This record gives sequence, C-alpha cells and structure tokens, in this order.
Amino acid sequence: MTDGARPPRTPREAANWSRDRVIRANLRAVVGRAYPRIIGLTREPSWIFFEILLPFLAVSAFVFVYRALGAPEEFVGFVVVGGAMTAFWLNVVWMMAAQFYWEKDQGNLELYFTAPMHLMSVLAGMAIGGLVMTSSRALAVIVIGSVLYGVSYRIEDPLLLVGVFLLTMVPLYGLGMLFASLFLLWGREAFHLAQLLQEPIYFLGGVNFPIRHLGLVAGLVVATLPLAVGLDAMRQLIFPGEASEGVLPVGTEMLILAAMGVAFLLAARLALGYLETLARREGRLTLRWQ
Amino acid sequence: MAVTDRATPVRGMVLADAWRSFRTAIRLGWAIEANWSDPFLFAVYTMAKPLSAAMILVVMYDIITQGQSGPFLQFLIVGAALWNVVYGVLAGLVQSILEDRERYRMMKYVVVTPSSLFPFLLGRSLARVGVSLVAVTLTLAVGVVFLGVELSVDLPLLLAASVLGLTAVMALGIFMAGWCLQLRQEAWSYPEAIAGALYLVSGAIFPVSVLPSLAQPIAWAMPTTWWLEASRRGLVGHGSPGDIGTLSDGTVLGLLVLTTALTVPIALAAFAWFMRRARQAGLLDMVTGS
Repeated sequence: MTDGARPPRTPREAANWSRDRVIRANLRAVVGRAYPRIIGLTREPSWIFFEILLPFLAVSAFVFVYRALGAPEEFVGFVVVGGAMTAFWLNVVWMMAAQFYWEKDQGNLELYFTAPMHLMSVLAGMAIGGLVMTSSRALAVIVIGSVLYGVSYRIEDPLLLVGVFLLTMVPLYGLGMLFASLFLLWGREAFHLAQLLQEPIYFLGGVNFPIRHLGLVAGLVVATLPLAVGLDAMRQLIFPGEASEGVLPVGTEMLILAAMGVAFLLAARLALGYLETLARREGRLTLRWQ
Repeated sequence: MAVTDRATPVRGMVLADAWRSFRTAIRLGWAIEANWSDPFLFAVYTMAKPLSAAMILVVMYDIITQGQSGPFLQFLIVGAALWNVVYGVLAGLVQSILEDRERYRMMKYVVVTPSSLFPFLLGRSLARVGVSLVAVTLTLAVGVVFLGVELSVDLPLLLAASVLGLTAVMALGIFMAGWCLQLRQEAWSYPEAIAGALYLVSGAIFPVSVLPSLAQPIAWAMPTTWWLEASRRGLVGHGSPGDIGTLSDGTVLGLLVLTTALTVPIALAAFAWFMRRARQAGLLDMVTGS
C-alpha cells in the first residue's frame, strides 16, 4: 500500500487477487461449505433418522385427520407432498436462516469475515449442500408416505414438474440467504424467529391443504411466500383435478417464482453487504455471546 | 474429570434450600426464555405458533365438511390446545438441561453445589411450561369466540385430569431430560421426535380408532391418551369419537390414574439412574457441538 492510499475495506480488497484467483477461491468456498452437508449424509446417520422421521410424523398425523374426516384420497397426497416440501423449509429455516447465528456461537463467523472470499459463496455452499441433503429426506418422505398411505400420482408433464421444483428452490434458498443476515442482525431471538417460521408458515403456505381455501389471504401469500407458490403449482401438476385447483395457472406461478428468486437473491446480497459493513464498523456483531 | 457420587451426604440441606434453588431457577429460566428477547417478538411468537397449528386443523376440517360445525371440530380444537402442554413440558425440560450443559456450560457447577439438580431443573423449565399454558388458554379462547366451541365444564373432572395429566407429562419430561444427557448427537431433536410420536398415538387430533390396529394398544397404554380424553370430557362435556368415547368418565379417570401411577416411578427411577451414569461417565460437562 502506498502512502495516502485508502486502506482496503475488506479482506477481498486487501488480497488484491487476479480475477481467476477470485473465481477459484469463491468456487472453493462454495464446495467447502457444501461438503460437510453432503458428506454428512453418510457420516451422520442420526440426521437421516430425524430429518425423515420428523416430517413423516407430521405427515402421518395430518393423513389420519383427513381419514377421520372421510376426505377424498387426493388430500392424503396433498399432505404427503406438503410434508416433503416441509423438509426443505425446515432446512432453510434451521440450516440457512439460523446458520450464521450458530456459526457466531461456535466462533466460525469471525473467520468468514476475515477470509478473502465473498460471503455469498459461503451461503451458496450452504444452500447447495442443504438442497442435496434435504432432497434425499424429501424423497424418503414421499416414498414412505406414498407406500404406507397408498397415494397415487397422475403426473402428465414430469419435466415441467422438475422445472417448477427447481424454480421453487431458488427463491426458497434465496429467502434463507436473506434471513441468514437478518437473523444475525436481530440477535438473540434466532431461536424464537426460527420457531415462528414453522407453524405459521405451514398454515399460510398451505402445506396440508390447497392455499386457495385461505380466500383473500391466498393472494397475499402467493405474492410473498415461495413455498406456497411452488406447492400450489406442483399440486396442480401432480394431482390434476378440481380438488387441487390452484390460485393461479402454473405458468403465472412460475413467473412469480422466477421474480421472487431474483428479488430474494438481490436482497440477500444487499443484506450481507450491510451486515459486513456493520460487523467491521462495530466489531461486535460477529463475536460470540453478543 | 467425571463428577462422581458424593462420598457423604451434605449436612444441613433442608426443604427451604431446595425451594430457594427452585425459585432461582424459575427466574433464570424466565430470563433466558423471555427477558432476553424483544417483548413484541416474544408475544407474537407465543401467540402465533399455537394459533397457526390450530388453524391448520380448522381449515382442513372446514374444507372437508364445507364449513359445518360439529363435535369433531371441538375435539380438534381441545386436542390441539392441550397438546401445547406436552410439547412445552418435554421441550422445556430437555432443552433446559442441554442448554445448561452445552450452551451456557453451567451444568457441572449446578451439580457440584450442595443443592439437588432436581428442583433446579424443574424451575428452569417452568418458563416454557408457562408459555405453553398461555398457548392452551389462547387457543381455547379463539375456539370459543370464533369457531363455535361450546364449553361445558365439569370442574372436578377437569381438575383431576389436569393434576394427573400434568404429573404424568412432567414425569415423561424428566425421563427424557435424563435420557438426552446420555446422547452424543441430536439430543435437541428428541423432544420434538418423542412429542411427535406421542401426538400420533395419543388421539390428540384424530380418534385412536383411526390408527392401524398395531398402534392402538400403544395408545391405550399412554397416560397422554387418557389425560386428553378426561380433559375433553371436563372441558366440552363429551369425549372422542370412536371406542374411547364410549367408556364411562370413571373408567377414563381410572385409566389415567393407573397409567400415571406406572409412569411416575419408572420415570423418576430412570432419571436417577441416568444421572448416576452421567456422573460416572463424565457426561455432565460434555459438549457435543450439536
């Protein structure tokens, strides 16, 4: 650094790396953060047990409620698909949104802020690892639920269904990235916030019933909650018929999901930038017990 | 180093000391649970979670019955309301003991004081139990005011059911707390998993008779089944649909007494054994990083 020059604001500036090296470092950060989640699939069998069991218990309870009410069989299918998507939502809440808070508690967050890679790479790694890890759990919930409760599917366009699923994951994990910064800013309430994002979101997201039954609220939900929009579109494709009639046509819901994806990722980047500035200026945001 | 059994009993310890520990632990538990949070967020969290859980069931019921009110809706509301207590007690006791061991790392200091861990643990978990009682009241109030739930209170039956049921649920929580001290991984997930499993087999939101025949004897052996059944009769004047609903009030209360009388000594003996093992194996200051 020459005399009078502005001191670097971030470790990335201080590293003064070539573009190639920046890209490689960030890709390694993505792989490095995704690695423990993917490898955890084989090294932590207890994770598999709980992450399949917990959504499955909830699915079973709601299946029995529908059976007790004498509901048409499609509703059992709605619950099973909703239960599988719940696994992704739980992953977003506990392993994306609350993750920076836990990392702070374990002392890792300071290391992230001092390393010369972008924090979005860490979040992207968490998201990719979480997505792979949770896909196996969600698939298990679908297979076990379908076999045990005899759900039949009528998928006319499987490619479109895969497209809608992937399109749902972008805003869903984008929202997780945004919440990761916000949870850290909001401090000690991370546990309460994560709890708050469960049952209320299951209700508003129509995890166990088509969201059009929420009436006027459904419109608001479709505009804000990727889980609800994605589920609504997927149900229309998996169980075509009157019972699964969506709030909007699948094409429109896909456009909404795409717009949400862009909006949440941009918002996550902005929030992260603010967090980084705050962390450096105040010096306590990344410290344990603060 | 492992904390081993005391060589000699502590002299001079009286009930007043245990009471002081209990009161201090209540204050501490409340501070951790509520005072460290933003009051607005805490209030929203306390209300939104149980109400959303109940509203999911109400919407499911409404879709299938086309908005007709009936005894099954009352069954759902009362079951969903009371279940907050089971989750509150199990999660309260287990999370208190794990937080003190892993997060605040105070467990070993509490254990080496002349006072017993038992009153401390009970007091420490009471905040969460208190919050769950608020959730019960709130859900029932919403049921009565907005959903047409008609209360027909049989006070002696309700009081007897509440005292016995709470005793049994506390005993289950104490057993779980001792058990979770032995675990190296995922102990935090156990309350949710056990509460979820009990939710399925206790007739909380659907009649026990809907369960597969293999699971029905388990339901009949659970004190939670009889507590819910007796409480429903004490609150709304009728029991569940199905086999259990045909039993007399005396039989239901007798079965609650019997299952509670079996659960409490087994749970206390197991907790004592778990604590002895934890002292010997050095588990009281173990940090699993989970």
